[in-house]
Amino acid sequence: MNKVTVTLARSLVVAALFAVPSSAADDEALRKDLTAVIALHGLPCGEVVAVKVLATEDYAASCKDGNRYHIFLNAEGRVVVEKQK
Amino acid sequence: MRVARVAVLLSLLLAACARAEPETTVSGPPTPPDATPAALPPAGTVAPPAAKPPAAAPALDLNSLETRLRETKAIGIFTKISLKNLVDDLLDNFRDYYGGKAKLTMKDLRRSYDLLMMKVLSLLQDDDQKLASAIVSSREAIWRLLADEKKFATFKT
Repeated sequence: MNKVTVTLARSLVVAALFAVPSSAADDEALRKDLTAVIALHGLPCGEVVAVKVLATEDYAASCKDGNRYHIFLNAEGRVVVEKQK
Repeated sequence: MRVARVAVLLSLLLAACARAEPETTVSGPPTPPDATPAALPPAGTVAPPAAKPPAAAPALDLNSLETRLRETKAIGIFTKISLKNLVDDLLDNFRDYYGGKAKLTMKDLRRSYDLLMMKVLSLLQDDDQKLASAIVSSREAIWRLLADEKKFATFKT
């Protein structure tokens, strides 16, 4: 392996190490954001424990208490929270 | 685009503050009516630096407050948009009330306003305590704007 390849490989490893915590932080921020949104709508949840991104500004959130919600931004600029069965 | 929406929300809160009477800024403890100026130092002595007046709560710097609300990381984007929706709803209720269309009373509106402020503060108080305090300081000023039909009529959203 030449030096360039080794350097590139090292860079990728370092980048991966930093990328994982960053992604985790983003997920945590999103869960916190959606937890607050659900609470603002007066719906039970406790805490969002998992989020699935369905599209831009469109999420499926699973709560600690078992509730699941579809949260999205509608055409009028309103955040809509729909309880999923 | 989302940032713009958030900006509208924050502007709503802060525009309300901006239109509030200057007297609505938080003032310090009342001065006793019989308070007199400090006695002059004896002749020939060097006067110490003038004592600062009692620390009044700082006047709200609305521009910086607006910036801080917009930029705070204590609230996520979706939460900011949700709050904007709630602010819009409250303003609609006030419009209906002043237009004679609503059955709500001013007491009901005050309750809604207090609830909204509590929501905002609940979201801020753990992660941005200073901003939460600043909003608490402007809380009554914003209410006075909303509760005054003439001032409210000049309020553009």
